Formats: sequence, structure tokens, C-alpha cells
Amino acid sequence: MVDAGDAVTAEVIRNGLLVAVEEASIVVVRSAHSTFIQEGADACAALLDADARLLAQSTATTLMHSSSLRCSLPSVVETFPLAGMAPGDVFAVNDPYRGGIHANDILVFRPIFVDGVPRYFAGTLVHIADLGGAVPGGLSTLAGDTFAEGLMLPPVRLYRAGEPVDDVWRVIAANSRTPAKAVGDVQALVSGTHVLAASVERLLARYGGAELARFLDAYLAATERQMRAELAALPAGRYQGSFTIDTDGVSPGHHLVSVTVTLDGAGGIVLDFAGTGAQSPGAINASVSQTLSGVLYAVRCLLDPAIPMNEGCFRPLDVRLPAGSLVNPNPPAACGGRLVTVTAAIEAILDALAAARPDRAVAGSGLVHVYTLAGRGVGDVPWVTLLYEFGGIGARAGSDGPDANGAYFTGGRSVIPQIEPLETAHPLLVRAARVRQDSGGAGRFRGGLGAELDIELLDDAVLTVRGDRMELPPPGRDGGHDGAPGYHRVLRRDGRLEELKSKQVNIPLRAGDRFLLATSGGGGLGPPRLRAPELVAADVSAGRVSERAARETYGWTPPAGVAGPDGKESR
Amino acid sequence: MTAGGSATAATVGVDVGGTFTDVVVSAGAGRDEAVKVLTTPADPLVGVRRGLRLGLARAGVAPGEVGRLVHGTTLATNVILERRGARVAFVTTAGFGDLFRLGHDARVEEDRYDLLFQPPRPPLEHDLTFEAPERTSARGEPLTPLTGPAAAELAARVAAAGPEAVAVCFLHSWANPEHERVMARELRAALPPGTHVAISADVSPELREYERGMTTLLSAYVGPVMSRYLSRLRQVLADEGLAQAAVYVMDSAGGVMSTQAAAVRPILTIESGGAAGVVAAGQIGRAGRHPRVLSFDMGGTTAKMGLVRDGQPTVTHSFEVSGKGSFGVARSGSGLPVRTPVVDLAEVGAGGGSIAWVDPTGALRVGPHSAGAEPGPACYGRGGTQPTVTDANLVLGYLDPAGLADGVALDRARAEEALRRGVAEPLGIADLLAAAHAVHDVAVATMAAAIRVVTVQRGEDPRDYTMVAFGGAGPMFAARLAAAFGITDVVVPPSAGVGSAVGLLHADLAVERVRTRVLDPAGAPPDEVKEIFHGLEADAVDALALGAHDQTVTLRYSVDLRYRGQAHQLTVPVTAPELAEPGLPALLACFREVYRATYGVTLDAPCELVSYRVRATRPFAGPAPGAQPDPPVHQPEPDGARTALFAEAGAPVPAAVFRYERLAPGALVAGPAFVDGAESTTLVPPGALLRVDATGTLHIQVAAATTGQAVGPA
Repeated sequence: MVDAGDAVTAEVIRNGLLVAVEEASIVVVRSAHSTFIQEGADACAALLDADARLLAQSTATTLMHSSSLRCSLPSVVETFPLAGMAPGDVFAVNDPYRGGIHANDILVFRPIFVDGVPRYFAGTLVHIADLGGAVPGGLSTLAGDTFAEGLMLPPVRLYRAGEPVDDVWRVIAANSRTPAKAVGDVQALVSGTHVLAASVERLLARYGGAELARFLDAYLAATERQMRAELAALPAGRYQGSFTIDTDGVSPGHHLVSVTVTLDGAGGIVLDFAGTGAQSPGAINASVSQTLSGVLYAVRCLLDPAIPMNEGCFRPLDVRLPAGSLVNPNPPAACGGRLVTVTAAIEAILDALAAARPDRAVAGSGLVHVYTLAGRGVGDVPWVTLLYEFGGIGARAGSDGPDANGAYFTGGRSVIPQIEPLETAHPLLVRAARVRQDSGGAGRFRGGLGAELDIELLDDAVLTVRGDRMELPPPGRDGGHDGAPGYHRVLRRDGRLEELKSKQVNIPLRAGDRFLLATSGGGGLGPPRLRAPELVAADVSAGRVSERAARETYGWTPPAGVAGPDGKESR
Repeated sequence: MTAGGSATAATVGVDVGGTFTDVVVSAGAGRDEAVKVLTTPADPLVGVRRGLRLGLARAGVAPGEVGRLVHGTTLATNVILERRGARVAFVTTAGFGDLFRLGHDARVEEDRYDLLFQPPRPPLEHDLTFEAPERTSARGEPLTPLTGPAAAELAARVAAAGPEAVAVCFLHSWANPEHERVMARELRAALPPGTHVAISADVSPELREYERGMTTLLSAYVGPVMSRYLSRLRQVLADEGLAQAAVYVMDSAGGVMSTQAAAVRPILTIESGGAAGVVAAGQIGRAGRHPRVLSFDMGGTTAKMGLVRDGQPTVTHSFEVSGKGSFGVARSGSGLPVRTPVVDLAEVGAGGGSIAWVDPTGALRVGPHSAGAEPGPACYGRGGTQPTVTDANLVLGYLDPAGLADGVALDRARAEEALRRGVAEPLGIADLLAAAHAVHDVAVATMAAAIRVVTVQRGEDPRDYTMVAFGGAGPMFAARLAAAFGITDVVVPPSAGVGSAVGLLHADLAVERVRTRVLDPAGAPPDEVKEIFHGLEADAVDALALGAHDQTVTLRYSVDLRYRGQAHQLTVPVTAPELAEPGLPALLACFREVYRATYGVTLDAPCELVSYRVRATRPFAGPAPGAQPDPPVHQPEPDGARTALFAEAGAPVPAAVFRYERLAPGALVAGPAFVDGAESTTLVPPGALLRVDATGTLHIQVAAATTGQAVGPA
């Protein structure tokens, strides 16, 4: 018989762990110096055990890092055996081939001791402002290897028994264009682990090590059971999906991410990426931890979203990643542009599973465009800012795609800094920020619109951009049209218009030059001619679709005698 | 008679909630009279009128004797949630007409896996968005000046669209409001007289265009509805013979304002209902000389927690309409943001009607779904079949089966059946009592997470606090929850069931003004900060005079600071003498300390000042609930007994039952015991001690022995 006390204890521990990781992530996000860390973008906190099992993960932070900490802890333990760890030790790592992501994402771990033995680890991660490399802010779009991407940290000790290891901190500071911010960010990570460890120690004091371990085992097992039950409910079969990447910016040709998803109907799932292109000589390679985060995300979109995020989620997944491919590169391939590939992997899985669950079918979405602007600043105090803009979301079975929003995995628009704080902090003047009329792929359900930005430089600066889905715009589905492709342009002060590539680094801009960024619209779903006329009318009235496109693409006829938005009365 | 109400006049609090309208009448001395009537959603004033008549009659107060009436209302929130506000035109800077269409949404928790998600959208039609040919820089310089003729031409176009209200938000109007003022002038000239025109420099003059613009838009959206409602309220009061009463509306930060001010700035009332409860807790704390109060308000569907320090509720400056988030705090961007002072509340879905269920991983959960008033808990016998917190309490012996005040008899058999099916069987527990106790404990754990958010996560030690409990279910859980945090003093006020309305009675008249200007405290001209505060002060005092007649004004100052390069600020209080010090050393030291307490980090980095706030308060002049000497102690005879299961005893034990109305001041009762009141039951756990003071307030001393149970914060 189950003791009712067990049910209560389980709930109390579950609550306690979630609050603890949340608290740690708040410390990291709110005290981080990097202005990039807006509202939980590119940061996380998690509790793991000494076997690197993920026990609890912060929920207000990005899902891009659900696998990062669990994949990198083993390398720390390998370098610094558990037996040699002391309370107050803190470790850091960023090597993408040891579970890391790219140079700027630093992962920090602090052991938590039970009866003198490290049993748990508090882990935190944040994208720090600058850690060297060829491009300020770490957006090494065209880096040829990890050496060009910035300082590489194998597992190192940041603190030894509570005392800072000064050598390491000096190396970090010396490799950053903004040393104070870099050190401040790493300090925020260390504080996050401190807060989390203290919470776990309170739980240990209350329940004891054996009791806590027993409940955690049961918690992970229950999560795994729930995952398997949900997976078993999906129609069994073999489903094929793929997505094509425009370019890596350095080599000719496109890059394919291909996946075969096999559901056995009994709770097992195999995701085999055989057929995916070879690793790139550019920076779009996704290290294993990143690919896994994307794979889990895509699979979870078809399951009960309330399943807790822990090791139990990963266990049912049999993920096969060919070595030397885009989704599992060999060192020292550069990984800074991994989001291009990880989102392609997500699109490929959603493409495959649309056959299993047509009610969850989605057309292709625009990619987040990342760009940095950097300058010498006043009194030679350099400034760097890393910014994002989103493309349109693909149409969904039953509803239009939202405009210029994170394609699921990358979250909502709150990660994009607002114009006023941006202009207050940097010599920029944003002249316009709009959605792009007619950029959403036409369809029975329309793709979301892309965005366009017009940013004037008030001082000389260098620009680096990374976009994709501009040559091959987000594909439509089931007869829906593709989204309109985006562009990167520079309008020089003298009126010359220069077309930039989707991936280009260190473009010199002078004061008065303008950077024009347009993101692609999402793909449409279903034939446009099947779109309900009242929806077309609503789009025209809201300016999302021009009257001309409404007539030509949707075959729409404005109601007689009603003035169009241009003021002219229609036929 | 002064507008604030003379000492002899009666004061009335009217709180319109989702289910009940509470009316409290205070005739100046003795206990307040409280009545609870059903809210009438179609026209809330029908319920107000009924409650008012009942309350005045019960208190024996003639309408003409009422000097002051304070109203708490959820109208602003409801208008936004139900999309029944005005048809608003939005005027913004050229190039930025898509401000809201692009939006600034954050997806939280389970929403992130939703392939069909829709970002939150404000109540604005696209063809009512207008772009003005103007631009101001971040330093406040006019880059493209807005000329009078251009503004007039645009105003004419806006007027031609026939909006009921207009919101104006130009980029960087926080730095220089001139263009917005020009635009407002031309709009007022072009629009029919009385059209509500809101400009962002007045409504929310802070950096960040999305939040400022949304606050302004929602203010305009709610404005006309609020104006109409308040003038109808004044009419109803006049009809009822209360024409002479000064009428105030509770704002979201725990102060009150005149109805005129509320009509101009309706967005200030967005969390009016939640604020009243915290204010009530604060007053009780003040009367009992408790400097730090944890307000715990648990009703039918949710539990709300907030802090009051030295009589001042903890206030934050952002609110999300229909926001979502973890552990009772809505995440910025998850709903529609409103930048306005609001009491800092954590709200979780744990109330008496919250449903207990077993999730797919086999964990027992309570809430957020509630059985509500209909069908209600299974034991109400009105068709509810799912087990609720109330059902668990009944099975445990915590509630009197003979029924609640409104005549509902509680059916223990139905409660047991619901618990068996919903909890015991899925968990594989044979013992129903154990299942019921588990539900009770999980409800405590859920609320404990929210308490942790408002205390520990804010750098506050809960053990420094006294818990004040109210709401229908608050007194039942208070002692348990307090024990989990090492809180030793729990206070249950008289009329605990209508705690919010009591808060309205004695609230102070208050106004807050804010300005943003990013300054380096070391490099700024020494008088700049002082000048900003002087301007805010004059503005705030001026606004208070609207409806006020005396000058006993308290001013409180605060500054939002951050370390240079950060995106987030912390609000730090500062005194007038500290503001006079060159370089502001006291302010900076305080910021570093608050930062350390909040994030656990001490940073040696330069700071910057971002926003400046002044809150002007004119204290309520009427009789405050004064402290009275403790009456002589006696041990009362119980009115009965119930057999109940407590964690401390392994098996059910008899517990004394007292009727609240028969408990005389000075009564001293040792737990386990229950005090059955009209609207709530107070649980005194084993080992705890209950004392009744001269005002009829219950004080529970939670023994150290009951702390450290299996239930509590991590």
C-alpha cells in the first residue's frame, strides 16, 4: 500500500525543486550584465545528479538549452573526478564537443554534497557579452573552426573550496572585448548555482539523502512512463521529413537535414538523421547537445505539454545522429550558427510527424535573424549589441501563422529589446519597425508576416548578420504558397543601396548609413483559393494582404460599393 | 465636514468581487457591520444598492450619516478581459504603427509547446492606428518637430474615424513630452467635447515604448466605461440618500482617489480588489503593532499573498492583464502589460473550491481548476463530483457538517465518495482520512511556493512576519502555512470573510508620480535629481488636492536603479535628506544592499539611476482601529467538539469547538480546537494557543513544536 505521505512528499519536493531552479535562473537572468539576456533568452538553470541526469530545469528560460547542462556535466566529472571535489568548488566549460554550445555560452556547475560525497550539481548557463573570436559579440557567422569563435574553455575550476582561481578569471577577462561585463556575467552564473545549491541543501536537511534520491528516481520514472504513454498514443509508422538550409555562407550549395521518425505504437520512438548533409566548413553545425534539445522540443509539441522537463523526457528517445554530419559534427567544426541547423531539424521532425497527426501540421516558419553592431564608442569605450528579429510563423492546420514571432523553439518577441532602451544605450536611430504586407505565404491558412526594420547608425560601426530561409523561403504545405523571402541591405548615406548576403561579417558602416533588415514570411497551408472570403477581407482591412494580392492570389472580389483601403471604391 | 469624513460620520466600504459584493459599514466605534450579497454582473450597481441598504440597516446608520464611501472594483480588469471597452484610436510615431502588432509576447510553461499558440493582442482595430510625422531622440531632442498644422491635419483624420477615445504614445515621450502635448491639444480641439484623450507622458512616463503604449491604450479603452460607471454610481448614491458622502475609489497600490481622478486615470484601479485585502492586513498589523505583515487571503478559487512593511504594502510597478506564470507571479509579456503601481501579490489557484487530482505521473495536485460556486464542492450536494479542498476538510473533521452560514448543509458521504474516486483509488490508498489529509497538505504546499516567491525571492525572511489571514478559507489554513515557514504569530480579524472590504474603510488618499531619466549618480549635475523630485512632488500634491481639502500630506520617494549595462532595475526607497547629499551615497548603499539581498551577489560596478517616483499620501482622518489593552484572560467552555485528524496525532482526536460570536475578549484556548464563524472556520492546531483580544481579533501562537512538518517550503 502506498502511504499518503508519499504523495504529499512527492508534491512538496516537486514544488521545491521547481521553485529552486526558477530562483537560480532569476538570479542569472536579472543580474546578468549582458544586455542580450532579455527575459530569459539564452540562459537556464538546472539541477542534475552526479550521473548527469537532469532532475529539474527552469521554466521561464529558453527551451534551447534543455539538453545543454546534462550533456556537458560528464566532461566536468571526467576532468575533475568526484572524489577530488570539495564543497565550494565551482567549474565552468564551454567546449561544444563536451556538451557545450559555442564560445559565448558558458556553463557553470557547483557540486552539492551528501554525507561528504558530491551527489548533485547545480548548473547555470548564460550567453555572455563577448568572449573574443573574430566578431564582436561572438556572432562568428563565417568562422571556419572553433578556434575562430572565441576563447575555448575545457572544464576548468572557477572556485576551489570557495576561493576564486584567479588565473582562470584573468584569462576570461583578457579574452573579452568587454571584460567587466564578461566577468560580471560569469559571476551571475556562479551566484545562480549558489542559490540553487542552498535550496537543495534545505531539501536534503529536511528529507535526508536517501529519501530525496528515492523520490527523484520515482519522479524520473513517472515522467518516462508518461512520455511513453503519450508516444504510444501516436499512430505507429515510419515517417519521413526534411528541411533544406539556404547556405552556410562559405561553401556553395544548400544543406539538407533529413529525418526518419519511427513510432512503434508502444511508446518507443526512433529519430534517425541518416541522409542529413555532411558537417559544414562554416559555422552552422549543431553540436549534439543542441540537436538533442531541438529533437526533444519537436517531439514534445505532439505530446501533453504538462510533462515535467527532466531526464525522463529523454529516455524514450532513440536519436541517431550520423557522425560528421551537420547534426553531429567532428571537432573543430565551428558551431556558433547552430540555430540554423537545430531549427531545420525541428522543421524536419514536424514535417515528418504531420503525416501522423495532420491536425498538428505546420508550414515552414521564418528563422530568427541575428545581427550585431559594434563600435568604438565615446572615449574609445567599445560597445557591442546583439539583436534579433523574427520571421513569420508558418500557417497551422486550422489557423494563420502569427506575425514575426519566434518559431516556437526560440520563444516569443519579449527577447527582442525595445527601441527606446536600445537607442538610449547605443548610437542608433530606428526609423521604422513594421510587419511586411504580403510576406505571409498565401494559403487556406496564411503564413505569418515577416518584419522589416530600418536602423540608422549615428556613429561608425561594424555590422555582422546571420539569417537563412532567404534564398529558399519558408515552404508552404499542402498547396499553400511559400513565404516571401527576407533580405539584408545597407542604404549608404549617399543613397547607394547594397545587397548583403544572409551571412556576412564585419561590414563597415559609417554614421548616416542605414541597415535595412527584412525577415521572411511563414509558409501558407492549403490552396489559397480555399481561404474563406471573410478572412481575406479581414486581411485586406488589416493591411496584412494588399487588395491586389487578394484579387490575384486568393481570387477575392471586394463587396460591391465598399471603399477599399486606398479610398477608391471597388467595382 | 471634511471630504475625508469626520470622526462622527460613518464610513462605508463597498467591494465588488467576481462572486460577492461585500459591504462594510463602520459607525466609528465598536465592531464593523459586514454584509455579503451576490454580485450582479449585468449591472454591478444593482448589487451595490442592495448591499448598501442591507448594511446600513444592519448597522443602524441613516444614509445621511455616511461621510465617506470607498469603492473597490474590478471593472477595469473586467472591461479588458471581456473586450467591452471603448473604440480607441491609437496615434504613434511615423514608422511604428505596428507597435502592438509586432508586440512583445513571452510564452510561458506549457504554452511553449503549443503549435497553435496566439500571441496576446490588445483591443485595437488596425484601421484606427495613425502615424504622426514626428520623432524625438533618446535625449529628448526633437529630430522631426511636430508642427501645429501637421498635428491638426492628423487630428482631423482621427476625428473623422469617430473614435470614443484616443491614446497617444510617441517614441521617447518619457524624455520629452512636448509632441504628445501638441497632439493632445489638437485632438481635443478636433474631437467632440469630453472625448477621453490619454497621452503616454501622463499615464506612464517611463522608458520602454511597448509597456508605456499598452498602458496608455488600455487606459483610453477603459476610460469612457469607467467614467460612465462612476457617474452612475454617484447617481445611485444620491438616490439612496448618500449625496453628501465623499466617494473614493481604491487604486491598485492600496491608496484611494476621488472618483474624478479615477475617471481620468482608470488604469490605476486595475488591481483594486487585490489591494484592498493587503491594506486590510496592513491596518490590522498597525493596530496590533506588527511592523511586518504577511497578508494571506484564501477564497473559493485562489489564494493571494502580499507583504506589508511598516503599514506600507509592498508595491511593484508592473501588472499583466490575463498574465500567466509560475508560482503565482505572472511573467512580463505573458498577458497585456500595464505599468502602474500595484501591490505585489502572488496568486495561486488554491482555494476552498480547488479540485484535487492525480496527475499522469501519479503526483497528487490541488488546483488550479475550481469547482467554483456552481456546482461547488461535492459536499454541497449540488452536483459536484470532484473532490475539493473543502471536501477534504469536511472528511478530516475540520468543518461543521451542520453547515455554512448560507444554510448549505455539508454532505460527508458525498465528500468521501469524491475523495475515494478522485484521490484514494488513483493513489492506491485505502484510508480515506489519509487521502483527505494529503489533499490538505498539498494545498498548503502549493500556497507555500507562492509565499516563498513574495518573501525569500524578494530577500525577506518570513520569520520576521506576522500572518494576517482572511477570506473564506484563510483562517483554516493559516496556522499550518505559518508553521511551515517558522512564522509564530497568526492574526484572524473579525469579519475575516469580508477582509477586502474592511481594507477600504481606512485607506489613505494617495497619488504616485514617476519620471524616467537615465543618470550617472557620479556624473549628474548635483541638483538634477533634486529638481526631478521637486517637479514630481508638486505634481503629486497638486493631484491630491483634487477632492482633498487639507494639507497633511506624507511624501515617499524612491528611485529605480541598476548596474550600468543591465536591463532590469530595482526600486529603492530614499529620504529627502539622503537626496540632498552630493553623489547620493545613502541611496547607492541601499541599492547595493537590496541587490545583494535579492540576488545574493555583491558587485563592485558603477550604477545608474533610471526612474524616480514620488508617492504622496494624505492619511485617512477618521477613527483608526486603535490598539486596546489586553483583557483579562479566561478559559471559555467549548460549545461542542468534533473528532478530527491532525498530522501531529496519528489518529483522529476530539477537538473543542467554539462559536466565534460566543467567544469573549480574553478567551484563551489550547489547540486542537476550531472556531466556527459566520463566514469561515479557524483551525487551531495541536500545540498552538488561541487568544481573543478586546476587538474580537483572534491571535494564534503557533508553537515551535508544530514547525518543521513534512509540508513546507524547500
